[in-house]
Amino acid sequence: MSSHREAPEISKDPVADNTDVYAFVSPDRPRTVTLVANFIPFQNPQGGPNFYEFGDDVVYAINVSNRGYARADVSYEFRFTTRILNDDTFLYNTGPITAINDPDWNRPQFYSVTRRAWGHKPQVLARHLACPPVNIGPRSTPNYGATFTHAAVHPIRGGRTVFAGQRGDAFFVDLGSVFDLGALRPFQSLHLIPLPNADGVNGLQGLNVHTIAIQVPISDLSRNGDIPKDVMKAASVIGVWATASRQKARMWNDRLGRPEGHGPFSQVSRLGNPLFNEVITPMADKDRWNAVPPRNDSQFAKYVAHPELARLLPVLYPGVFPHLAAYTRARADLLAILLTGIPAGVVPGFQNFTGARQADLLRLNLAVPPSSKPDPIGLIAGDPAGFPNGRRLLDNVVAIELRAIAGVTIPLVDPSFTPDKAAALLEDGTSNTNLDLRPHFPYMPDPAGGFQSTPGIPAA
Amino acid sequence: MSQTSRRSFLAVAGAGAAATAVAGPADGAVPAASRGVVPLVAHVSDAATGTIVLYVGDEEVVVHDHDLVRRLNRAAGV
Repeated sequence: MSSHREAPEISKDPVADNTDVYAFVSPDRPRTVTLVANFIPFQNPQGGPNFYEFGDDVVYAINVSNRGYARADVSYEFRFTTRILNDDTFLYNTGPITAINDPDWNRPQFYSVTRRAWGHKPQVLARHLACPPVNIGPRSTPNYGATFTHAAVHPIRGGRTVFAGQRGDAFFVDLGSVFDLGALRPFQSLHLIPLPNADGVNGLQGLNVHTIAIQVPISDLSRNGDIPKDVMKAASVIGVWATASRQKARMWNDRLGRPEGHGPFSQVSRLGNPLFNEVITPMADKDRWNAVPPRNDSQFAKYVAHPELARLLPVLYPGVFPHLAAYTRARADLLAILLTGIPAGVVPGFQNFTGARQADLLRLNLAVPPSSKPDPIGLIAGDPAGFPNGRRLLDNVVAIELRAIAGVTIPLVDPSFTPDKAAALLEDGTSNTNLDLRPHFPYMPDPAGGFQSTPGIPAA
Repeated sequence: MSQTSRRSFLAVAGAGAAATAVAGPADGAVPAASRGVVPLVAHVSDAATGTIVLYVGDEEVVVHDHDLVRRLNRAAGV
């Protein structure tokens, strides 16, 4: 969750595993958009001596569709290179790392950024940009946030800014509970197998991810190269998704003790809307979903139209969702939210429709300004700057999607339906319990440190 | 990410062109593998149709060559 280990194959390839994607008009720089794609889930901060890093053999990309065809009209591509400065030590660092270019960091990682635009030659925006080290502890990476976060924020060509490196996971969800037969601790006394109600437990607390973030002028993404002002115009909406790709052929090089890649890069992970592949796509189709481009998603629309989770909720919570249990029509609300965007006339003064082509894209209406008082429940709570209009780091997408699947959004397209009273209350009871979100780019929290963090408490 | 290069398009378009590319290219549009500087991986993806996919650099080239498939199978003892 939201796409951590969400499919059988990618769960075996964490370096390429895209965990979350965010897209929002930057609250402190509203003429820009920030795009964030996170990878490498469930990083234990103590996970050395070979700490987490991006894959030098993976091509990471954040893609934007701005013409309604669900193709990558603009892509930002990131490729990484790792160096070993001292061949004679097993250590990640041979002393305190006091700067991003400190030679005591024995395994620095660098990256390039290339912009690809439909019909244009690729443009290399920057090369040899430094990643920060991971957060090891006060001896190895002292004053982590002050020393490394700003130093790893790189202004690059065209008024763009990038960051790539370890961050605390901003996503929050009660993994231990939801994977235990769909339990939500705040309501689990009503579960088929009841237990006393309890507060939610953030299963991602204390864990890190690797973030790729890029902040670009809105005009870098918009269809007409401008800053859209009219919410109701089709050209105001973009669709965003991230991908990770590996070369098609991998041969084990027993002389080097590692694989070598051959051939073109082929998509192994993708992510647009949170939780799509996680809870919409059946297990047997999850790997294939990760391999196909979003423009081919109509084949998965049947899973959105009749979502398994909507059938499970009335079973897992007997008597709580009678209206949902009786609803047998195709879920036009979810088809719109997840696969086409919300057309005009559904939510007054708002739309993020990208056309009839069904594709899992995180749709962002660029003409909606950032909210001065953001509501974590986003659009369905009356805050049009939040999910499913793009996605901010603070958005509680678990609660929003639970409520939507439980039927809260059905009346938008079918006024004859009355949602069950419980539907609007659903949540897993969690919030961000990692370090605070940062007020400025890259916004993601500083990573938990290995020395400073306390491991979880085992129980059985 | 897979891109259809001019060369791979030619290879897909006709077995003759593909066979030429494998046996010994005559034009200058041949990628690095044929110059012998990059390893090449050949995958017989469908022996029945004589389909071989060559992975070279960051490209793939599809060839259709029943005779080559037979010779590869013979070499592999299949």
